[in-house]
Formats: sequence, structure tokens, C-alpha cells
Amino acid sequence: MTFYEKELNRIRSIVYSNEGQINTVIGIRNYIENNYDVNLNLDLLSNIQCISKYHMLRLFKKYYGQTPRQYLIDKRIEKSKEQLKNGISVTETCFAVGFESLGSFSALFKTKTGKSPTEFQKEQLSRRKIAKEF
Amino acid sequence: MKVTLISIPVRDQEKALKFYTEKLGFLKKKDLPLGGGNRWLTLVSPEWQDGPELLLEPAPNHFEPCKVFQDALMEAGYPYTQFDTENVDADYKRLKDLDVEFSMKPTEMGTVKVAVFNDTCGNNIQLVEEL
Repeated sequence: MTFYEKELNRIRSIVYSNEGQINTVIGIRNYIENNYDVNLNLDLLSNIQCISKYHMLRLFKKYYGQTPRQYLIDKRIEKSKEQLKNGISVTETCFAVGFESLGSFSALFKTKTGKSPTEFQKEQLSRRKIAKEF
Repeated sequence: MKVTLISIPVRDQEKALKFYTEKLGFLKKKDLPLGGGNRWLTLVSPEWQDGPELLLEPAPNHFEPCKVFQDALMEAGYPYTQFDTENVDADYKRLKDLDVEFSMKPTEMGTVKVAVFNDTCGNNIQLVEEL
């Protein structure tokens, strides 16, 4: 066994010894992963795992280093990039990945990626065109 | 300021380029001569070509402490860095079939699953899948 494996075992026994908690947060993450496109909220997420809202929030943050909300936003932005690359309109993309307002989607997209959804899409589509032409 | 680059030390840039493109599947992005046979050589993920670049640096050949550090990490089995994957088990199988050597099989670590392979250029690299 390498020194690194010993270290992993040591860390596992400190950080990941509570199997119940791990299964709970993995369940929540999977739920977000499969349902990012619908209206998700903390009550719903905690109900799925039958734990209190605040306990769920604390656990998720403890194991994933982000709140479920931050995690969900990143997932939606990632998915929206795929949609925009495929030529889906900005409005359609916004609702397809679960955002409820075009304004907040555009603002979040710009904050997270440095470009507005429209700029991002133009760039992606023109890049593809250039690649074809050369 | 923006974070755009991850650098890893390699003993042989040409060999590293072959391993990282042909076996791992990265794409070459930049390749320019820096004199003395050294290159500024960067790669990107095929599915994220405007994402961070991986710089294959010939540092161990020019700066002894880098070589010492790299050797010590290798010996202890410590990964120099890690790459995300959607499926560690699938990548493990694919790379094993390409004769890539693993020092650690896919192993669950709480909310992630990890595996460690040898990049043949002086480093252990970890693959991580979020569970």
C-alpha cells in the first residue's frame, strides 16, 4: 500500500465514516442531477430524504463544499451551455434548464461565464462555421 | 485575473504529448518553441476546448528541486493533479486496455470515486468521479 493510499484511508476514517449521511447527500445530489430542469427547493430536497431543511443544507455543504442552491445553479449553467451550443434559443434554453426568468438567467450566465447567453451562442456558432470553412 | 492553466512537470515533452493525446484523449492547443528543444505545450479537454489548458512543462530537466519533488510524489503514490470524469470505472477499463498502469483501482471515498494511474512521464494522476 502506498503512502497516499494510507493517507486516503486515514482521511476516509475521519471525514467519511458516517455512511448514512453519505447516502443521504449522494441521494440529494443525484436528485438535483436528474431534476435540475424543474422547480427545486430546499423543502422538496429535504422531504425526499426525510430530514429537516437545515440539516440537509448543512450536510450537503459539509460533503460537497457548496450549498445545494449553488450546486444547482452550476449544473443549470453547464446544461444551458450545451443547449446554446446546439443552437437552441436563449429563451428556450432558460426554461429548459429550470430557470424561471430570462433576466435572472442572463445575469447569472454572464456572472458565471463572463459572457451573456447571446454572446456565448454567437461565438460558439461562428466558431463552428469557421472550423468548417478552414 | 483568470485561472486558465494547470501545469504538470514531464521528463519528455514529446512522449508526454503522445500519452496525453493518444491515450488520455486530450487535444493539443498551443505548441511553440522556447529554445533548446523546449516547448510551450498545452492541451485541452475535447469536450471543453475553451476550458483550462494543461501545460506539459519540462521543468524536471532544468530545475533539480522539481525533479526531487516529482520523484518523491511518485514514490509515495501521490497524484500530481487530478482530472474529472463522468465514470471512473469506464475510464479505468478503457485505459487498462491501452496498457496504462494503475497504482490504485477505482476506490470509493465518501462522495467521490477515485483511481490513480502512472502517466509514464514521472507523475501519478488521479481520476475523480463525483457520486
